[in-house]
Amino acid sequence: MKGYHRLLTAGTALALAATIAPATAQEINFPVIVPVTGILAIEGKAQRNGALLAIRQAAIKVKHKVIDTGSKPAGAANALERALSGGGVTAVVASIFGPEMLAMMPIAKDAKVPLLTISGTAKITELGNPYVFRFFPGDAITKVAHADYVVSVLGKKKPAIIYQTTAYGQSGRKHLVDNFKKLGVTPVMQEALSFSVKDMLPVLSKAKKAGADVLVVHLHSGPTALLIKQAAAMGLNLPIVAGSAMHQPTTAALLEPKELAGVCAESGSSPISGGGPAMKSFLAAYKKMFGSAPDAFSLGAYDAVNMALKVVKGGARTAEAVRAGLSKMTYKGLAMTYKSDGKGNMAHSAVIMCYDGKTRVPTIVKTYVNVSGVL
Amino acid sequence: MLLLQLLINGVALGAAYALVALGFVLILNATSAVNFAQGDLVMVGGFVSVAAAGLIPVPGIVLLPLVVIFMAVFGLGFSLLAYFPLKSRPTVSVFISTIALGIVFQNGANALFGPEPRVAPPLITGGTLKLGEFIISRQSLSIIVVAAILIAAQHLMFAKTQFGRRLRATAQNRRMAQAVGIPVNWMIAATFAMAAALAGAAGLLLANQHFVSPTEGSDLIIKAYIAVVIGGWGSVPGAVVGAMLIAMFEVILSAYISYPLATGLLYATLLAILFFRPQGLFGEILQKRA
Repeated sequence: MKGYHRLLTAGTALALAATIAPATAQEINFPVIVPVTGILAIEGKAQRNGALLAIRQAAIKVKHKVIDTGSKPAGAANALERALSGGGVTAVVASIFGPEMLAMMPIAKDAKVPLLTISGTAKITELGNPYVFRFFPGDAITKVAHADYVVSVLGKKKPAIIYQTTAYGQSGRKHLVDNFKKLGVTPVMQEALSFSVKDMLPVLSKAKKAGADVLVVHLHSGPTALLIKQAAAMGLNLPIVAGSAMHQPTTAALLEPKELAGVCAESGSSPISGGGPAMKSFLAAYKKMFGSAPDAFSLGAYDAVNMALKVVKGGARTAEAVRAGLSKMTYKGLAMTYKSDGKGNMAHSAVIMCYDGKTRVPTIVKTYVNVSGVL
Repeated sequence: MLLLQLLINGVALGAAYALVALGFVLILNATSAVNFAQGDLVMVGGFVSVAAAGLIPVPGIVLLPLVVIFMAVFGLGFSLLAYFPLKSRPTVSVFISTIALGIVFQNGANALFGPEPRVAPPLITGGTLKLGEFIISRQSLSIIVVAAILIAAQHLMFAKTQFGRRLRATAQNRRMAQAVGIPVNWMIAATFAMAAALAGAAGLLLANQHFVSPTEGSDLIIKAYIAVVIGGWGSVPGAVVGAMLIAMFEVILSAYISYPLATGLLYATLLAILFFRPQGLFGEILQKRA
């Protein structure tokens, strides 16, 4: 009988070990595949830093490897193939750059691995790929706030839209025009600028000549700073409401505080503008780890990894289980509350922040919560 | 009034582009090879200015000689890596080596300074001058003056000094120059140093008004290449005129039509020049010389 009990105990232990072993032995593996060099390096590094901070703070051990895509779709596709070749990938922190996401998405779908991104390109969640999760409000959200702030809060009716010729710029322009139309406003001027434009005097002169009462800007970081600098230098005296590139501390660092007077911007969040104790703790930890201030992209990536880790802590051990968890869970992150709209759009809120002309730290002046109505 | 303001901005931008194009032409004439890293050398000059300003917080005009000297030495090192080991190989080897080093410079700047755009100090002081309704940037005026001095100094050096004559002789016929006792290799190394020094000056001038980032050079080399094709392959005055023409399309024409259309018209003009005058605007001088 004693022997039988020993046998039973040993058998139970073995059975338990067998059930637990796959879960504990299964490594949590989050490769970070982002642009660290090339034209999207600023945004990519912010994304990488946010993800790495979340991984470092995680209560469980997370295997991770940062792979640079070089801001090139082919580089992103190769990097993902390489990361997947070893097997055991739980989820991928995937590029902020829309064209790179479009190159990675079919591979992720075949491998059945979720991609956690902060790319704003609208198309990535419109292709019916169930493995894409976007943790930054896309243009469909932010441009509602952008246009509403211009018309309803500033009371401006003659916006001049200045946008980039890139896919990012075109997408922003389309959503801005659509939202202005809903508000009964027609832009007095629309002008596309390529990345290489150095002198902003021509476009600013055209906006003035067209009778614009506000500049609505949707440019990348460097061109945004160039435009604001030159508008201040020529004494244009028009309010500027910029896209999310303006919220980045690195963009504000290119300008004198007085040049920023009257400038506002839309974004998903603004970590440097402060917040509750959790935000302050995030700010301090980020500055300690990277020696610079975080932006909304860092925070979006931080929230994305933390949500995926929460799904893992809830018992998900495979990529497919993580995908299922992400598509169902509602998660209260630092920037906002995240929930999938069924297409992988997780972020549904936006903020408008403004600079007072005295410091480079903006103040959040309006928050647009649950713009899509998903929450 | 607006046209005058646009003209000043255009000339300032063109003057900075001219410095880039001149450095490109110098190396082209001395080695018959295209230096695809010339734009990246401008970027390096911009970051050197940013770093120098961090160490010595003085106006750009004080930093300019330091940046120029540093970049001249940098140019010598560049020639030792990109040109001299390959000088007896086909010129395509030098094309490739300059492309490779340009990528190294981009990634080096990214690693050292980060991907963010940076701003260098103004040459003398920032801000604007207001004359009635006419507002002009002090930096734009400073760029025009400094670039004009540098271009004139280079012209005088080539035309009036023995060193300049030796450089020209090396550029025109290397074997003949060697036969009459000119130290050709030293002349070529000096050309690389001068081209990099000009790039350094352009980097400092551009990095205040238009910022500097690691990928900046790729765009500048395209403009330098177009300027040289428009002006005449290897022509020094042609490079200056070509650079000015590009800036006029970018600044003046784009104020009246859209930027994309102005860019399209620039490339259409380039094609027309290639079709009707393939030697470029100043190409005859080059043909006579040849």
